[in-house]
Amino acid sequence: MPRRVTEVDPHLDIETYDPSADLMVLNLGPQHPSTHGVFRVKLYLDGEIIVKAVPYAGYLHRGVEKLCEELTFVQIIPVVDKNDYVSPMMNEQAIVMACEAMLEIEVPRRALYLRTIFAELQRVASHLLWLGTFGMDLGGALGGGASLFMYCFRERETILGLFEEVTGCRFHYNTHAVGGNRHDITPKFCRDTKTTIEVIAKRIEEYIQIFSSNRIYRDRTQGVGVLDGDLAVSLGITGPLARASGVDHDLRRDAPYHIYGELDVNVFTESAGDCLARTLVRLQEMCESIRIVREIIDSVPEGPILGIKPGKSPTHIKIESSQRYTCIESPRGELGTYLIGGGSNRGASAYRLKIRSPSLHAVSCIPYVFPGHTVSDAIAILGTLDPIMGEVDR
Amino acid sequence: MGYFIDTARAMAVTMRNVFRPPTTVQYPKEDRVRPERYRTSFALVHDASGDEACIACLACERICPSRIITVKPAGKRESPVTGKKRNYLEDLTLDLNACIFCELCVQVCPTDALIMLRELAKPALSREGLFLSMERLYANESLAHSWGTGSRLMEMQDPKRGLPALEPGREAPPQGVDPIADGVS
Amino acid sequence: MTPLVHGAVWGVVIATVLVTVAVFSIWFERKFAARMQTRYGPTLVGPAGLLQIVADALKMMQKEDILPQKADPMLFRLAPPCAVIFTLAAAAVIPFDEDVLAADLDIGVLFLLAVGGLVVFPVWVAGWASNNKYALLGAMRAVAQGIAYEIPLVLSAMVPVVLAQSMRLSDIISVQAETHWFVFWPLGPGLIAFVIFFICSLAEANRIPFDIPEAESELVAGVTTEYAGMRFGLLQMAEYLHTLIASAVAAAIFFGGWDGPFASGLHWMVLKTLVLFFMIFWIRWSLVRFRSDQLMALCWKYLLPLSLVLVMLSALFVYVRAMDA
Repeated sequence: MPRRVTEVDPHLDIETYDPSADLMVLNLGPQHPSTHGVFRVKLYLDGEIIVKAVPYAGYLHRGVEKLCEELTFVQIIPVVDKNDYVSPMMNEQAIVMACEAMLEIEVPRRALYLRTIFAELQRVASHLLWLGTFGMDLGGALGGGASLFMYCFRERETILGLFEEVTGCRFHYNTHAVGGNRHDITPKFCRDTKTTIEVIAKRIEEYIQIFSSNRIYRDRTQGVGVLDGDLAVSLGITGPLARASGVDHDLRRDAPYHIYGELDVNVFTESAGDCLARTLVRLQEMCESIRIVREIIDSVPEGPILGIKPGKSPTHIKIESSQRYTCIESPRGELGTYLIGGGSNRGASAYRLKIRSPSLHAVSCIPYVFPGHTVSDAIAILGTLDPIMGEVDR
Repeated sequence: MGYFIDTARAMAVTMRNVFRPPTTVQYPKEDRVRPERYRTSFALVHDASGDEACIACLACERICPSRIITVKPAGKRESPVTGKKRNYLEDLTLDLNACIFCELCVQVCPTDALIMLRELAKPALSREGLFLSMERLYANESLAHSWGTGSRLMEMQDPKRGLPALEPGREAPPQGVDPIADGVS
Repeated sequence: MTPLVHGAVWGVVIATVLVTVAVFSIWFERKFAARMQTRYGPTLVGPAGLLQIVADALKMMQKEDILPQKADPMLFRLAPPCAVIFTLAAAAVIPFDEDVLAADLDIGVLFLLAVGGLVVFPVWVAGWASNNKYALLGAMRAVAQGIAYEIPLVLSAMVPVVLAQSMRLSDIISVQAETHWFVFWPLGPGLIAFVIFFICSLAEANRIPFDIPEAESELVAGVTTEYAGMRFGLLQMAEYLHTLIASAVAAAIFFGGWDGPFASGLHWMVLKTLVLFFMIFWIRWSLVRFRSDQLMALCWKYLLPLSLVLVMLSALFVYVRAMDA
């Protein structure tokens, strides 16, 4: 284990570079092969050991929340899609659930089943992407990591092919609407989903063989980047990060939405809180999502997929001035929407739509977790935090 | 040491994948088959009687989140097919540079005039090449259409769909059958 | 022919052949890596993409020659060619056949290891002269790794030297041709020494799992961050050449060189070199890399004591054999 060289006060929010301390400042800059998007971490290095790390976000700020005040609820769904650009289904579901909760619209059972299936498939796809890019972080873009990357993406493409069959788009589907879904599934989709998830379940075994049960991989991730459970809770970290540190909290089980209340969702926690624990939690979550899809894919009830009449005008959905917070469990944690209705266009836009992104909280633990590790460890830790910059910056 | 065994196992996985068939498609020499509902570029179509379907109602322009559609109505004219006076379109431009392919314009079109395509158009070499004018939109009509037209999407999202019939002696419409994909005529 | 003319002619021939093989090995590696990842690799340029490397080389040659402003101009320009020169110089003593070698030195192995150890310098200088923090970090790691793994490399190369009682490479191969290949007999020291030599060659050549100096995901491009165009090409070429020459040396001193069960000759040497080269590729595309302190721990705590023990064991073996005879 690398030794801690100097005392670090992570609560310092102004960078005080003391030249007498003889530290090297290295920008793990916005342009870097493995910062998962445009993200900058300013590292103060003593040799190879990080003494202090200051994260800078905001390079991908696109003003989505401001757009929400101008575009109507119908129009904002495809725009908010692009926040967490790795799991778009979650973004759409967060927004439409917020609107439905405010208007107290009842979503048909079939739509709830569809949303659950899509959410779980999207979770598998997102974790596959995470696994591939994490392999590249550890093993290099030219090397064993690239092999794992290609395997994970090969599997992910099959899931995206399923979504393409239903919605028409591999990515950024705009398949949810306030009151239900816009696209319905077919028996062919059910058949293809069953074959696809069986293949993926077998391939996950292969990934474990090449990757997470590998001695070199364990050396790189065991004991690295330990995140204390209490620190995670105080920083607002949720999702696989918190569960790997022992925090037993999963919105699908504790505050069920869609049809999770009728299913038995197993929640996996580890107590170590290091990178290996986070990997194991995510791998187990993938298997669990596959199990959930396998359970419900054949029992989707008949019925409509939209609870209200589909509208032809952009001001079809109007929400009066009231406030509500709804949240769902995205692959990164708790994705929440705080909605204050009664905005412009006579209530057809939001007055304020705040998106509580889990990645922003994940990134905020960097000043606490990085110090004491080497630069290689920093990359490994950043990989397991799984930040998506589109979500961090919105 | 354990390193050797794990190295051998990792090497076994990669060697096993050497003997799997490649999963990549050599585009543009070959192309993968796109599903029925695949949505890419746009086209303006004529209706069944051969008349221009667009009535310049500006629904697509109003709903577009990226505000890329500009519609110029031409006012009422006599239709060459039915002989009645109806609205016609003078110009419709769609800037594909900024389109986010959300399908909302297609969904709100009352006459199924604006539809999306299933066949990939050729990539453009300049920004102007992606700016779809009315001529290009009508020219795109000959390419393969996506399944999702306005009326079909509205029908799929009907809140009464799939519910038991209200009239006795009449069966509920079949649920979950995609007439094109499942081969049902 | 005087030794000078002999060395010059054969030197040019061997160097050309090695460089060509290294260049086309890049094609082979790309195809093989692609197949391991269920994709195709280069297919468009030339039949089955064979001319892809030619296209890449031409592309690199026509790139702008960038010199960073605060970089040391002489060292920056000198490092890449020196890397290639030192690597190729070590190939002068490798016997590819009974009389196909540039210089039949009687201190062949010593010359090989000494010149091969010089390769650390251009890599270090390249990182220092770039005036770039990432390059500096990469260079420091390269130096630490290069120096540390030098020792087990030398010691494990001493095992065949002790067993053959000569440092001349052609003698080592002749002894193996008469008795058995050193990798199989004596069973313990030979095989383990080969494994240690293989691992140390991987580390010296900065190949995965030891490629921390040019770790792409951590240090953008490590030592070669500021290099563009043909200078970068030369540094990459040096790495491939080093790997190729290391496999040739391993084939010579452990696997018997040009000796074969039937029809000994140049083709056996080529076959063994290429098999080892292929193994190095295979390992590269299957494993993730070590962290630098774990790398050092592996060397100092495991490889070094083991190689010392092996040298002593092989000396004991030779003594016992001499007593019997």
